Amino acid sequence: MTREQWERLKVLFNGALDQPAERRHEWVTLHAQGDDILAREAGALLLAHDTAGNFLEEPAVVDPADVATVDELRRGTRIGSYEIEQEIGRGGMGVVYLARDLRLGRRVALKALSRLHDSNAALRERLRREARAAANISHPTVATVYALEEIDGRLFIASEYIEGHSLRNDIESGPLERRRAVAIAVDIVSALCAAHDAGVIHRDLKPENVLITTTGAVKVVDFGIAHIDNINTRLTREGDLIGTPAYMAPEQLIGSTIDARVDIYAVGVILTEMLTGQHPLAPGRPSMPVSAAEIAWQCIQTDPNARYRSARELLAALERELSNPTAVADPVMRPLPGASRALWWWQFHQAAVSIVYAVMVWPTWLARNVIGGQTGNALFVMVLAAAIVAVTLRLHLWFTSRSYPAELEWARGRATGWMLVSDVIFASGLVVAGVLVGDARAALAVVEIAVAVGVAAAFAVIEPATTRAAFRPADRL
Amino acid sequence: MGNPDPNSLMPLVYDELRRIAAGYIRRERPGQTLQATALVNEAFVRLASERPRSFANRQHFVAIAALSMRQILVQRARARKAAKRGGAPERVTLDERLVSAEPPGVDVLALDEALTRLATLDPEQARIVELRYFGGLTVEETADTVGVSPATVKRQWAMARAWLKRAVDAAPDDGADAHL
Repeated sequence: MTREQWERLKVLFNGALDQPAERRHEWVTLHAQGDDILAREAGALLLAHDTAGNFLEEPAVVDPADVATVDELRRGTRIGSYEIEQEIGRGGMGVVYLARDLRLGRRVALKALSRLHDSNAALRERLRREARAAANISHPTVATVYALEEIDGRLFIASEYIEGHSLRNDIESGPLERRRAVAIAVDIVSALCAAHDAGVIHRDLKPENVLITTTGAVKVVDFGIAHIDNINTRLTREGDLIGTPAYMAPEQLIGSTIDARVDIYAVGVILTEMLTGQHPLAPGRPSMPVSAAEIAWQCIQTDPNARYRSARELLAALERELSNPTAVADPVMRPLPGASRALWWWQFHQAAVSIVYAVMVWPTWLARNVIGGQTGNALFVMVLAAAIVAVTLRLHLWFTSRSYPAELEWARGRATGWMLVSDVIFASGLVVAGVLVGDARAALAVVEIAVAVGVAAAFAVIEPATTRAAFRPADRL
Repeated sequence: MGNPDPNSLMPLVYDELRRIAAGYIRRERPGQTLQATALVNEAFVRLASERPRSFANRQHFVAIAALSMRQILVQRARARKAAKRGGAPERVTLDERLVSAEPPGVDVLALDEALTRLATLDPEQARIVELRYFGGLTVEETADTVGVSPATVKRQWAMARAWLKRAVDAAPDDGADAHL
């Protein structure tokens, strides 16, 4: 269409729009002066106008993540000695490109770290250190880190480019065959041995970071640097940790000091997922071959000291498992320990105790009225406070056990001391109240003291028993 | 008298948009979308206070910001299409947002292409669409920026919208076509 035709089309279109809807077509024909093509074009535009709905009426919508990580690195762009071929992934930490290293003529995965890191000098220094350490790992099942490059003030990590798919894809298409799963675990743990020897902890081992090459070989990627993602996540998006915590050891989740055994924990989770498609602490506890279940279970112990002491020890166990003929012939399925029945009793106990505590506030109120004065008030406040703390903590644990089973262990670790203190105060309060009420209201006194005895028995005997049953099945199978 | 060269201001606008978007991610859940207008406005408020001399006026800024938004959206759509086509090897080492779907609504690539063609026929219409759709300007603001009356903006907008609708609908959905 020429400019001149376009101007005529514009006149036709605008003129027609000024007419009532039913007269537009006629108007166009009349004013097209025999130019059929133009008339048809105008008719089509009018139709589009009528059927456009709210096309373009709302301004464009963007995902902030797209804008935050937007980049000029198109195909052919040169970054130092690298030439970008294409983008192959992106996330909170930046964008990963397939690039060609022009010095050596090889393809690399080039991770351009998000500019969010730019201003954080401490983080940059740490990245530099970790990349250097990771570059020292040389092992067939580790994706080699080639270099950390600082180009025009921006950080890039160049590493071995691996063609293949992630273990996550395999897990999603159903449980793996037992030998295959154990063999993959052996490869992962061999990689860990080499890394741990070099002083590098992976820290974010998960199926996404285990790649299966096109020839079926295993490569663990992002040693020591993957967790920068998580640091970034923590720094930038509080409360948004749900996702990879499934693979994090409890000590890592609560942010205490960690060592190589966090990677062993992750292997336990991955092994279970490969064999069952489920997280080992999933409700109902997945079933898996006994011998493999034992290995997985020892990996995911809450107490790092109860896990395999080193990747090498775990490797030995896995290799035994791989060459264990009975395990192949006899894939006996057994739920992972921590039978759900025991857990149910423990949950029941927590709920029942909470109810008793809450109910006992009422008799204590009556007792306060009988005792009267400062003593009565103080006693009531003491019992009420203890009951509130004890009930809150128990309901918190109960809720955690149902909704975030993976975090139950450390929640318990933190709550236990406080629960003990509040239980003791609560029971003592009831006893004192019962004694002071004494003869004046004998029935009330009896209730107070009886419940106090019950509470004492519950926390001294019953609760430890249900807890042990629910949480220490590691001593074992 | 003339405004500074838009090309020299582009990186500045880009950086500001990037920084603001990062702020959004920090505050909001990931995967949430927002209107381009919000980003553009916030970027203007900040840049206007930090570097009051860089931009002649708000219109001048928005024109650049709208162009930036267009480029950003097109670039992302292109990358997504490449990934969908299987051109990109599956190497999923980053978080799940990698596979996040294209924001609902318009096929940005088809729109961009159509808009480029429209610009050869009618640069003013193309500019109005860019300002309104990618910059989120109202009719009045667009009229101010382009230097025409609001009535003209409305007319031009109506025709451009109809023309683009036709062009986008006619564009082969090549991302899917080639493989289905």
